[in-house]
Amino acid sequence: MSALAWLMAANAALWIGFGLYAARLASSQGRLERRISQWEADNE
Amino acid sequence: MLHSKIAISALLGGLSLAICQWLVFAWAPEEKVMGLVQKIFYMHLPLAWWGLVSFATACAASLLCLIRHDRKYDLFSASAVETGMLFCTLTLVTGSIWGRHSWGVWWTWDPRLTTALILWFIYAGCMALRSIPMPEHRKASLCSVVTIVGFLDVPLVFLSARLWRSIHPSVFAANGGGLDMQMAVTAIACVAAFFFIWLSLLLIRYRQLLLSARLDSIIFEQLFKAEQEPAPKTKKLYASE
Amino acid sequence: MLTAAIAICKKDLLMVFTHGAGLAQALLLGLLLVFLFSLSLNAGDRLSPQAAAAMFWLASAFCQVLVFNMLYAAEEAEKARLGLLMLPAPVQSVWLGKAAAGMVILAAAQCVFIPAVFVFLGQKMGEFWTLSLAGILIGDLGMAASGSLLGALSVGQSGRESLLSIVLFPLLTPLLLSVVKLASFGLEADPMLENALRWIGLAVAFDSIFLGAGLVLFPFVYNGED
Repeated sequence: MSALAWLMAANAALWIGFGLYAARLASSQGRLERRISQWEADNE
Repeated sequence: MLHSKIAISALLGGLSLAICQWLVFAWAPEEKVMGLVQKIFYMHLPLAWWGLVSFATACAASLLCLIRHDRKYDLFSASAVETGMLFCTLTLVTGSIWGRHSWGVWWTWDPRLTTALILWFIYAGCMALRSIPMPEHRKASLCSVVTIVGFLDVPLVFLSARLWRSIHPSVFAANGGGLDMQMAVTAIACVAAFFFIWLSLLLIRYRQLLLSARLDSIIFEQLFKAEQEPAPKTKKLYASE
Repeated sequence: MLTAAIAICKKDLLMVFTHGAGLAQALLLGLLLVFLFSLSLNAGDRLSPQAAAAMFWLASAFCQVLVFNMLYAAEEAEKARLGLLMLPAPVQSVWLGKAAAGMVILAAAQCVFIPAVFVFLGQKMGEFWTLSLAGILIGDLGMAASGSLLGALSVGQSGRESLLSIVLFPLLTPLLLSVVKLASFGLEADPMLENALRWIGLAVAFDSIFLGAGLVLFPFVYNGED
């Protein structure tokens, strides 16, 4: 692999890492929204 | 209030990162010895720096949690540990890629990388502890103690790794001094940009945990009220009752 | 506080040495580790002194986890933890007492590991064995202080014994590096001793930090909560 390829691999790892964490945050948010909907349904 | 701080931080992070991309790939010169791959340093350094700061933040929040018994400090510590874990993981990955190209090894017992790895394990232990179902107050105390003790250990880990390495040849050249002016400016700019990214992620996660805790309180209060209210009277079906 | 700590230490040692099962488990685990690692050697091969020292301390670390899980589980079995907490002494006396008991049990187990290392890993005692002995004393103190503080993680219904190893081992790294180096000085025929004092200093610093942390933080870990 050339030097540029290694540099791009590191760059890609960085953005994939942030992307995965953003996905985790989104999943937590979805769970929170489901709990709120459930609570609203129980209290109608 | 919190969401406006998050929005401003995220916006500043995005803008500064865009400027940093230009600085790293177009403006900063190529290093004579390590060549193009040296530019990984501009990501690796801020990730390592803010990973460590994250842990310090978690430690401070844990101390406040133990002293003031306020759950919000525990939640802030939890957010800091998670964000720190992300930054620590990326530090190790970028460090490994850099080492693999430059010296042909995926791993070397460089004291800074070793400290990052031990920090990663300590973070992982904290997160494993937090995932266990237990009463919130006990979880907060245990996680706070582990975070504080873990942070106190970090300087010792660094010193011991440096002393261990002193008998082995150094693989990574010292990056402390002797940086070209343009490289130094780029490095500082990247550290600043990653600060805003770190802060945004930390506050977003903190806000999520706060909302979840608020929902828990509301549901618990309702359940508690339901238990306190007397049961409705039912009509007797038989005279003998 | 010291009187209560000594009483708790005596109680735990009496329990462990009269029943014996707990100590046997910890001892066997360490011995097995040393023995299984020796399978990686060819006949007549000699493991490097540093690797042998590392195996000794790894066996000690695993032994430490079992010992402190066992010491804290003793009160959980009969729900006697509240009784200990109601002692007319600071709760840190529990930490100190269990640390002392753990240190004695660990030292007893290491008395078996040391000959095992010489026999299974083909080692010879060097001239500077006193450095290794100093390392063992300082290392055991650090392991006892940290093990006693974090051993309380396994307490209560929500406690998990498996957590102790994943939380404790990364924290032990600086101590392990120091004591492995000191132990290897005692096994090498001609060791390079220029950093010996710095390694001792590091190990002592670790012990000091965990002794202090134990005194301050133990009440938050060991209380009446489940």
